[in-house]
Amino acid sequence: MTTVQVSVAPRADGSDERAASSEKPGGVRFVPGQPDMWAFVLFEALVFTSYFTVYVIRRTQSPGPFLQSQTHLDLHVGVFNTLVLLASSWSVARCVQATREGSFRAALNNAYLTMLFGVVFLVSKVREWATAIAQGFSFTTDEFFSFYYFLTGIHFLHLLIGFVVLGVAVSRIRSAAGAAPELVETCATYWHTIDFLWVLIFALLYVMR
Amino acid sequence: MSATTTGAVPAMPSGSLMRRIAWHCRYDEKRELWIGWWTLVAFYNLYGLLFFVLARTQPPPQPSLGPAEIVQWFDDRRSGLLYGYAIVSIVGGATAIMTATLAYTMRRMSVSRAFAYSYLLIYALATLPGMLIMGVACTVGAMRPDRDHALVSWLYDFAFLSFEGTMGVFLVGSLIWMAAVLLDKNRVFPMWFGYLNLCNALTEVVVAPAWIFRRGVFAWDGAIAWWINMAVFVTYTTVFLTLLRGMIVREDFGSGPLPELASDRAPASAGTLGAAR
Repeated sequence: MTTVQVSVAPRADGSDERAASSEKPGGVRFVPGQPDMWAFVLFEALVFTSYFTVYVIRRTQSPGPFLQSQTHLDLHVGVFNTLVLLASSWSVARCVQATREGSFRAALNNAYLTMLFGVVFLVSKVREWATAIAQGFSFTTDEFFSFYYFLTGIHFLHLLIGFVVLGVAVSRIRSAAGAAPELVETCATYWHTIDFLWVLIFALLYVMR
Repeated sequence: MSATTTGAVPAMPSGSLMRRIAWHCRYDEKRELWIGWWTLVAFYNLYGLLFFVLARTQPPPQPSLGPAEIVQWFDDRRSGLLYGYAIVSIVGGATAIMTATLAYTMRRMSVSRAFAYSYLLIYALATLPGMLIMGVACTVGAMRPDRDHALVSWLYDFAFLSFEGTMGVFLVGSLIWMAAVLLDKNRVFPMWFGYLNLCNALTEVVVAPAWIFRRGVFAWDGAIAWWINMAVFVTYTTVFLTLLRGMIVREDFGSGPLPELASDRAPASAGTLGAAR
């Protein structure tokens, strides 16, 4: 028999302790933002790694057909999309920096700029899909295009969730007290994860021969 | 199990297991929650045994099998299907207790009751296609070996598509739980569990191509649509069972923030409750 002690002491400041747990006892934070979001990043990285592994195995088993289908993708569009997302990572990093400095006007502008880059990426991606479908390359055309639509589609979904995350950051920055840097860092961590995943998807689908 | 030792409640006996269980049944104010938690643990273990070992319907067979192969598939596991799904039909009602226990966590949060009610409803619906309809279809297929091959093939597709069809329910259910955890101020679950719900929800989306493909990694037995999804689901289930146990230990039946475990919040302050196991 073991005894588990449960504390019922009330919280002094009423704040959410879960969101303040990234600070070590000595006051030094070991990750930017909430550690909880980093747990999400780690788990998503594992899941996507498993998708990428399956893709690489299938590609290795039939390199010819994969390479043949890959030539139908427009590398310029892929590069453009990558640059747009990298630019969005730059603007969201500036948003974090401005929030840390208490420059909430600049933080807001950079958050809006990040959203704008995100919209450009989404529009570009939808146009790319529409073009491919018009050329006769659909989800069921062959295995390469199944992976292409699957990986870019699931990334697209993550990006849509990213707009909700950015919306939370904007809402807090616009509030009278301004946003806590940790919250904006947490939102930026999510956005950088989307960017990171896209770079890997771009490399696998467009570049790898 | 846990208990609070207050008032005239006698101390938990340290003798035989039966005496301790009897004490918990009589005096433990958290007995309903513990019954719910043990039901969850028992059910998931039984589910694994029935579906993976006895009926052998999981991992799922290939959707591309022809009529003769499908009939052979039913022949190979006739007894397992009949006995396995007979047990499923008996214990299937336990899902009500399980879902209610999970919904209770949302009732303990500072969020609207709509979260718990939505969760209850959506998982009540999920039990039908994910377990009972699949079980009935497999049983009907196994019951009469001389049935027309085309009909048996129809039952085979119906059973596995019915099972796959629950993924949308798990998607929405995970999103409901995620939103509740992230909005909650009572610290019932850590925030990272909210994000883990999002991960689980996103892997449910990945199952959707199983409705389109009959072979390959996106088919219902594929590496992406089934194996990776199942790995995430098992991780997710293990995590929420662990967190749920901690939540029950911490439960004080109040309406404010849930107390922290002393091990998470040292040193233990005055006014602690002893939760005996």
